[in-house]
Amino acid sequence: MSKKVSVFVGPGGVGKTTLAAASALLAAEEGKKVLVLTIDPSKRLASTLGIEGKTDATKVPGFEGPGELWASIVDHQKTFDEFVQKAANRSPGAEKILKNHLYRQLTTTLSGSQDFSALEKLYSSYLEGDYDLIVLDTPPAQHALSFLEAPAKIAALFNEGIARWFRDPKGEEAGFFQKIVGAGTRQVLKILEGLTGSEFIRELADFFRSIEGWQDRLRERTSAVHQLLVSDHTDFSLVTSFDRAKLLESEAFAREIRRGGYRLKTVLINRAFPQWFDAQETGPSAGPYKDLYEGFQGFYQHREKTIQDFSLRLKGEVQVLQLPELTERVYDLEGLRKVARILKKGGWS
Amino acid sequence: MTQEIHFVTGKGGVGKSFVAAALAFRQAKEGRRTLLVELGERSFYKDFFRLESIGYQPQPFQENLDLALWSGPESLREYAKHLIKVESLIKIFFENSVSRNLVEIAPALSELAILGKITSGIRKHGPPMPYEVIVVDAYATGHFLALLRAPLGMAEAVRFGPMGEQSRGIAEVLRNSQLTKVHVVTLPEEMPVKETEDLVRELVGDFHLGPSIVLNKMLDVPSEAPPSDAPVAFAEFVSTTRNRQNEMETRLRDLARPLSKVPLILSDDPMLAVRRAVEVLT
Repeated sequence: MSKKVSVFVGPGGVGKTTLAAASALLAAEEGKKVLVLTIDPSKRLASTLGIEGKTDATKVPGFEGPGELWASIVDHQKTFDEFVQKAANRSPGAEKILKNHLYRQLTTTLSGSQDFSALEKLYSSYLEGDYDLIVLDTPPAQHALSFLEAPAKIAALFNEGIARWFRDPKGEEAGFFQKIVGAGTRQVLKILEGLTGSEFIRELADFFRSIEGWQDRLRERTSAVHQLLVSDHTDFSLVTSFDRAKLLESEAFAREIRRGGYRLKTVLINRAFPQWFDAQETGPSAGPYKDLYEGFQGFYQHREKTIQDFSLRLKGEVQVLQLPELTERVYDLEGLRKVARILKKGGWS
Repeated sequence: MTQEIHFVTGKGGVGKSFVAAALAFRQAKEGRRTLLVELGERSFYKDFFRLESIGYQPQPFQENLDLALWSGPESLREYAKHLIKVESLIKIFFENSVSRNLVEIAPALSELAILGKITSGIRKHGPPMPYEVIVVDAYATGHFLALLRAPLGMAEAVRFGPMGEQSRGIAEVLRNSQLTKVHVVTLPEEMPVKETEDLVRELVGDFHLGPSIVLNKMLDVPSEAPPSDAPVAFAEFVSTTRNRQNEMETRLRDLARPLSKVPLILSDDPMLAVRRAVEVLT
């Protein structure tokens, strides 16, 4: 059996993490050895998966075959630090960079760094583990591709061009601008210094000099990850919740993913309707409950139409599935199994 | 003129943008000159209010209310213009592919520039901001805390030069509860309420900001029991919702914060929904 990767993308708060875990559970029930990589799971989901406070892949407690279900949290700082150490071959350069103020600041708040570490963790698990399937939950994204582009952007930042800016080792004392080749670059740096101050530039120079020598490694890694993501081994699922603006956003999202050369398999509209709702049923005949029922009825009928329009526009391109709103929360493996069954009933395969 | 900054945050999917709009409408209705700002590259309000476009420059939207969309690179560019004043130099910088990547990747620059823009009126730095209130539809919880921490972190990493100075100035405004207000939006559900509790603790502890809480999408449950001809699943849904709502409201009241409730509004008309929310916000 060849290794597969399934990536869940979408905005925050739509139930992406839970659905990713539920889909992993389904695959494990079918006999596969599955790893689910989550970013920032809720406490309950983390304890359900048995990964609370752990950073290594862990077998999900209570799950009994026929396959295997493993889970892991992407520890952002740890993944990043490990990557730096590996890339620098544990040279003194690595120590230096780990202590650099700017590195700390960048990796804790860097906008693309969470995306980077999620993909790095995915790739190392893909290479090192013997899983049939790896399910990746991703950080909330404003646009779908920001997640996929982050490593390339980080790589571009670390590439030859910028290293060249800071290559002169004596520059720090002598005013390193003077020795840098190219008037254009000199001007760019001057402007940056004007904006930020010389101390910032010094930290930056220090940072880029420390990483010199492993940009190649970073570039190779980035391109390998990209190859994996656009290959036949990987498919994407976009999770969205219902509202008109969100659906419009998802439509743009879906097109963006496909244009990037990735295989978008499914759009999951989560919480499209409540479990109690039945379009065929009639509500209470009088009183405030009648008004309440009819309010919901009108709302969901209208919503159904919006979703149909949405599905129609994406028809033939991807599979669009609707899932009901769960009234219960996932507290344990039984709860997760319940979500998995709903996912399956909704047409997931 | 005094200016207040109102940040609206909360867990993803709780209706931050909607509540931010309602808060801004409310301020405008009370006669204050208000700017409603979105952060990032993509506008929610454009689709939500079905507008032609929303850009960096504030545009009139309603009486007393303007709209804008501020991204990191654009804010940085404006900051650069203010500081350097030579358009051709700025062009060189922003068209250089390496610095473009640097700007996109490092929130150190980009997010500080956004915060710089948000606080520019109060700090009297940059183009005039003729507003009494700026309502910011901010990031979700985790990213929002990172945003608030960015200036202090940067001020520590870089003590001297304009970067350090600006960072300190921004941090000062953000820690001043007279100038900076935070509204945490939540749903009456376990996960967002838990996140709200944690966020409030951090905001009070680390930033000395006492946020107010907006409990969104509260179902108006009739006081009497459901009639006998109500479908069973529906009656059950109403009763579970009532219990859950009561439990969550009690937990939030224990946080001892100003608490407003916005009802679940079953309408696809955004204007109507916002106007209804405006009536109940305190």
